[in-house]
Amino acid sequence: MSEVTKTFVVTRFDPDKDEAPRQQSFEVPVQPDWKVLDGLNYIKDEIDGTLSHRWSCRMAVCGSCGMMVNGKPSLTCKDPLSSYGDTVEVAPLSNFPIVRDLVIEMDGFMEKFKAVKPWIMTAKEKAVEEGTNRQSPEELEYFKQFSLCINCMLCYSACPVVGNEPDFLGPAAIALGHRYNMDSRDEGSALRNEIFRGEGTVFACSYANECSEVCPKHVDPAAAVNQSKINAVIDWATSFVVPRGGAK
Amino acid sequence: MARAAHPGSMSPSKPGRTRTAPPSMPPQFPTSGRYLSYTLFGMTGILYLLAGFVALRVVWALGDGPAAWQGIQQQLANPLYVLFHLLSLVAVVFVGVRFFSLFPKAQPAKIGPAKPPPAPVLTAMLYGAWIGVAGGLALVLAGGIF
Repeated sequence: MSEVTKTFVVTRFDPDKDEAPRQQSFEVPVQPDWKVLDGLNYIKDEIDGTLSHRWSCRMAVCGSCGMMVNGKPSLTCKDPLSSYGDTVEVAPLSNFPIVRDLVIEMDGFMEKFKAVKPWIMTAKEKAVEEGTNRQSPEELEYFKQFSLCINCMLCYSACPVVGNEPDFLGPAAIALGHRYNMDSRDEGSALRNEIFRGEGTVFACSYANECSEVCPKHVDPAAAVNQSKINAVIDWATSFVVPRGGAK
Repeated sequence: MARAAHPGSMSPSKPGRTRTAPPSMPPQFPTSGRYLSYTLFGMTGILYLLAGFVALRVVWALGDGPAAWQGIQQQLANPLYVLFHLLSLVAVVFVGVRFFSLFPKAQPAKIGPAKPPPAPVLTAMLYGAWIGVAGGLALVLAGGIF
């Protein structure tokens, strides 16, 4: 296969040496079938072993290799180099603090994730003898799309609200909370809707729709966030007339 | 060069041991790529605010008698006012089209046993209502009704 050389302009940041992130260029001989991640791995293996970047599965499932490629959030293992010109600019995900080079600080994201209680909550645990929690294909269809999220955080790096309002729970976390609210086995929607009605949650979203545009798994987090707005309001209104059950 | 994001954006509640570089906004925000449409959408609010002030002025003139009403009619015929109203019309159409395209997927999958109609039907209903209301108002203003 014929090789061409592309210039990778990569953001570098060493917390022990650098005051601020800087850019460094690398000439990389690329194969026609390479993805952006292959180019970064070539730099790491053959040119500069100090380059830091996250990756794992190489098949768009683990969500580790999200970066900004030519200014757009991208899953680098899925993004073909052939779709770019001679220069490819790779930077860490926007809206996140940078730990080193292309590695971003994920702890804030994990805190937001936990805040929506992303697990099935029930008022009373079912005994094993009572059998499994059955679910019909139709019931599965209500939330299946929102369960496909791989936590790659591209949606967070595309969202203009995330960059301006640090308390905003953000697209993936809200989509996950919505996924459990739509699950027929779950009884915690009242609790999650209460969280969603709080400050910095679903109503902070101004529906830029960028999260859905960049989502590599077509989860459509913008739909989840905006459906959650309506559900949170309906839940609030019905709470005055219908006694509350469900998990606490 | 990307603008700086809020320094607390996506930061953990307790800072880690490693010094981090501050976050930056997406490089295309706010005036490039798809962000331009979002920014323009937000900026239409300025036109609506101004249109609200103009409407208040008109209502005020209506209360001040026929002479004031004639005066405001003449002012509104000024080409600058006509341009302003044309811009407002463009803004309303832009926001309407954007809203109608995003509205269907914002509907809950179900409310109790009820499900929303398919997205094309919802969109057709929105445009139908818009055209109906706009047409009705145009008829009223043209003196066709009342």
